Amino acid sequence: MRKNVTLILLLAFLLIGSSMVMAQEKGGTLRFAMIDTPPSLDQQVITSDLATIIAQHIFEGLYTFNSEYAPVPMLASGSEVSDDGKLVTINLREGVTFHNGNEMTSEDVVASLERWGEFGVRGPVLFEHIDKVEANGKYSVNLYFSEAFSPWKSMLAFINGGPVILPKEIMENANEQPISPQEYIGTGPYQFNEWNTGRYISLTRYEDYAMREEESDGFAGQRISYLDELRFIPVPETGTRVNGVKAGDYDYAQRMQGDMYESLKEDERVEVLVNQGAQFGELFFNQKEGLMTNTKLRQAVLAALDMEPVLQAAHGHPDLWDQNGSIMPEGTIWYSEAGIEKYSQGDPELARKLAEEAGYNNERIRFMTTTSYQTMYDSCVVIAQQLSEAGFNIDLQIYDWATVATRRNDPAVWDFFYTWHGFVPDPILYTFLSPTYPGWWDTPEKRNLVGQFTKTMDQEKRTEIWSQLQEQIYNYVPIAKTGDTYTYDITSPSVKGFGQTSLIWPKFWNVWIE
Amino acid sequence: MLAYTFRRLLTIIPTLLIASILIFSFMHLMPGDPAAVMLGTNATPEQVEKLRVQLGLDRPIYVQFATWLQEAFRGDLGDSIFFQSPVLSVIQNRAETSIFVATFSMLIILILGIPIGVISAVKYNTLLDQLTMGFAMLAASIPTFWLGLNLMILFSVNLDWLPSSGFPSVLESGNLNNLKYLILPCITLAAPNSALIIRLTRSSMLDVMKEEYVKTARAKGLKESIVILKHIFRNAIISIVSALGFTFIALLSGTVVTETVFSLPGVGRLVVQSVLRRDYPVIQGIIFVVVILYVFINLLTDLSYAFLDPRISYE
Repeated sequence: MRKNVTLILLLAFLLIGSSMVMAQEKGGTLRFAMIDTPPSLDQQVITSDLATIIAQHIFEGLYTFNSEYAPVPMLASGSEVSDDGKLVTINLREGVTFHNGNEMTSEDVVASLERWGEFGVRGPVLFEHIDKVEANGKYSVNLYFSEAFSPWKSMLAFINGGPVILPKEIMENANEQPISPQEYIGTGPYQFNEWNTGRYISLTRYEDYAMREEESDGFAGQRISYLDELRFIPVPETGTRVNGVKAGDYDYAQRMQGDMYESLKEDERVEVLVNQGAQFGELFFNQKEGLMTNTKLRQAVLAALDMEPVLQAAHGHPDLWDQNGSIMPEGTIWYSEAGIEKYSQGDPELARKLAEEAGYNNERIRFMTTTSYQTMYDSCVVIAQQLSEAGFNIDLQIYDWATVATRRNDPAVWDFFYTWHGFVPDPILYTFLSPTYPGWWDTPEKRNLVGQFTKTMDQEKRTEIWSQLQEQIYNYVPIAKTGDTYTYDITSPSVKGFGQTSLIWPKFWNVWIE
Repeated sequence: MLAYTFRRLLTIIPTLLIASILIFSFMHLMPGDPAAVMLGTNATPEQVEKLRVQLGLDRPIYVQFATWLQEAFRGDLGDSIFFQSPVLSVIQNRAETSIFVATFSMLIILILGIPIGVISAVKYNTLLDQLTMGFAMLAASIPTFWLGLNLMILFSVNLDWLPSSGFPSVLESGNLNNLKYLILPCITLAAPNSALIIRLTRSSMLDVMKEEYVKTARAKGLKESIVILKHIFRNAIISIVSALGFTFIALLSGTVVTETVFSLPGVGRLVVQSVLRRDYPVIQGIIFVVVILYVFINLLTDLSYAFLDPRISYE
């Protein structure tokens, strides 16, 4: 009897096991309906999220992020840092090949890092601390820093506008212009196949992909390419993306609207995926010219704002936003409560009092926003309303994004503007820390703290300094954060294998179609 | 006729020149920078400026215009800032969709619009006339995005008869089956335009019906079908042909809402995206092509008058 039971259990186990293997068989094309076409897939010089969603399958960096946002090796096998923090030696994995069949060596890495350092979007932030990059044998690279610079690994791991590795012959001839599609040669699990302008971008499986052996964890570890082809199709209208997934014309659709969340969650024809990488909206105050150079007035504006209605109006369902005053989201090592008692005060009386102390006399305050992104506009309408109720004379100026992006460089024409910031794994990547970014936050206290923050190698100390910087943000008010928001996508129920997405870019390795 | 055609073709040159200057000036008067759009929301001014220099956008506007014009008259419309490829190939890529959509929509408009308009005029003030006019009013009033999305829900999501959106190239694949992707967009586009032609045909026919020569034709004892087709319809057709010409140009140069709803890679969406991205060479290029098309189709429309009405001569 026991023998029979064992036999039955064994058969059942084999059946379940074989069906699981069957379920993950290779094959099929995943059709991804995306909101637009990216300008290019050249990750080093483009920060478009659309570009990264596609390009992360083609290109890889030396490091990547695991599910806890910690930078871990990808093309690197490990690293050594000298005691003074000035010499970093990165060892490379052997046997990694580019999509042209050539093996990746230290020369390719040096050429890629140098191009990124000179022309890349985020490269100069790291390279202003680097004196030299040189090959140290075939599989090792030395980075010589002018002084210890703690966030180097996070910066090498951040692929968006980041240092992806391409062959030396392409990188040596590249400059700040994006490289052409013929030059999209990376080391990733998928290779570039075709860019049919206006119709789709197609990637196919790279059969000789040199995969890491560790278990998949966030963006790190194994990247198994079950799907034969990934096809990224621009479908700008949300209703069309939804109908397309329901009709079986697309397998995955990006960026649904907040007001559709409930109905899509209940619809059996689709599955909802909320991206875990939090974005946040932020008001940038003009500290160079005009009314907002007055710190007290900025504090008055902050005091007037109640972020809950702002987030609700723009993002709808509470699953899609968090009323969080910490600049970094909860769950990260950077989460801090320093200064957050001043977040979302929603106190018009206090705002009036502070404005009076600031000498505000009903002057016109120019608030720039855009209708190019609906959630930005919706947030700004509520913000403008709250500020008007608190006695501010708000002139809400509405432009398309291209106009806002140009006008914000002229400090004479605006007092504050609204934009959003994508999730970054290390605060050093925040744009508002740059003294040249519109808003121009550049006080001696801030400079001193940022200097300490980048030089300190000890993580605990860095977290502590970041808390002090956050406190500065709430006292000095260079920006006002509205809250964390999450985008969500839908997928056909036949698409399987999505883990938690720790950043905002959905990825399709380890994903298969049943 | 030949001399007239030649003279009309010559008007393309000043028309193109004036249109180019106007568009170039307007585009550059608009604030906004393609480099800022390309680099995204978090780019610093230094990064934007670096790319501007690389793209040649830091040169004076008149230098940019002169360079562009010189190249355009050599047949080179420059490179798209966004796509980093020649403007002509970007337009060519979108032209297939626009030509197919415009042609098939025109066929539907002709098949529905003219016969229904004629019947409505002949049956003037009857129940049939009221019904057709009601239908025309409805078709003209329904917003195209609403009609498009509902056709999609019915025929793609619920009935699963037709694809919901997109249009894989017929010319590249040689697969005529891909034309099924255009059925819903063409119906969506044809609906309001058919309504216009129905109403125009009806009113033109009714105007001609009041003419003395129609009464004479009937008094002569001609068959009613001959009176309607040879005497009324033929005289009413001139204004209908003019409207059809304009409709065809409008369909060819892009129908943004329908292209967006059905995610069609057509010229209309390209224009809007290029304006939002400040992709100046593409906008200039499209204007260039549309002006040429406009002049040609107008010329063909004018020449067709001579064939339709022997009293018109271009000598």
